[in-house]
Amino acid sequence: MGRIVFAAAMSHVLDPDYYQDACGLSGRRKVEACMTEIRAMGARMLAQRPDALIVVADDHLNAFSFNAVPALCVRIGRHVDRMVQEEAEAFDRALEGMPARYGLHEDLANRILEDGMTAGFDLALSWEAPIDHAFLSPVMTLHGQAPVTPLVPIWVNCFVAPQPTPARCFAFGRHLASVVAAGPWNVGIIATGGLSHFPQLLLPRVGESDTAFDRRLLGWLEKGEHAPLQSLTTGELDKTGEHEFLNWMALIGAVTPAPADVRYFGELGRINLAAVEWRLA
Amino acid sequence: MSRYAVNSLLYRLKKERAYRERFLADPAGLVADLDLTDDERAAFVARDMRRINALGGYLHLVMSVPGLAVHVTHAERD
Repeated sequence: MGRIVFAAAMSHVLDPDYYQDACGLSGRRKVEACMTEIRAMGARMLAQRPDALIVVADDHLNAFSFNAVPALCVRIGRHVDRMVQEEAEAFDRALEGMPARYGLHEDLANRILEDGMTAGFDLALSWEAPIDHAFLSPVMTLHGQAPVTPLVPIWVNCFVAPQPTPARCFAFGRHLASVVAAGPWNVGIIATGGLSHFPQLLLPRVGESDTAFDRRLLGWLEKGEHAPLQSLTTGELDKTGEHEFLNWMALIGAVTPAPADVRYFGELGRINLAAVEWRLA
Repeated sequence: MSRYAVNSLLYRLKKERAYRERFLADPAGLVADLDLTDDERAAFVARDMRRINALGGYLHLVMSVPGLAVHVTHAERD
């Protein structure tokens, strides 16, 4: 019987140069402190020798064009490439220097997809979508110089309204847990993004973050109180700049009712950086 | 507001270098036949990403189109 052996959520622009450019030296120092905690989390993850790592993250209008915007999408196949952006700007530069190709855990991805359809989740699938910083910045920080664990990338549509609800993402996480339990693998799972930043996705509000809302979310996570989270609305997440918490909701559903430890929380003004690890039974 | 036209144009400007170069050489010509409102067309011709965001352009696109991206910086915090 399979087990979830590691679960964590974290901010996903893990790039000291980006935050120094945007927020000065304090930005660099804070993201470096956050990355130090994520590296320590990675050492604990690798000590569990996971067979696969599920990564729940969002697309920044990179992998999917306006041809189709899937609510929930499972990346299947044998390999995934990192996104390549010529003349990259801002967060897209975080990918530079990373390996071009990563192995996937094909069997686990197929089980999540096929069993999900049977269970009532009308999941999108992709054989071709590349992955951007939302996946690779945390994955590479967790692994350091170690070989990268076979991945199962899963996208949640966090930005293009209408998004899936927090309750639906939580329910999808329950599905992930049931697939892992039914299989033979030891599995790690991470969710990326956040915490509060870019409320309403409006440029005049870049620089605002809702720290009180973040602390409320983290308080619920620390206590393992997951019922209030399922009552959140996508409207609340938009207003408070918590769009990417939808990714976290899938992870929370996968590990509920486990309580979490906040390894790092830092206010930058532009964003509240966070790294959280769950205490699994 | 032409949500699709604005954002599909931003997406192509980000992803297609040749299209971006055509735009930079002649923005008015490139947007002339697109299904944009007059306000949207004027914002693109002016390369005004703040206005484009206010008109419905997705934030992550207006912050990442090469050569046109808006960069917002912040004061140091302790």
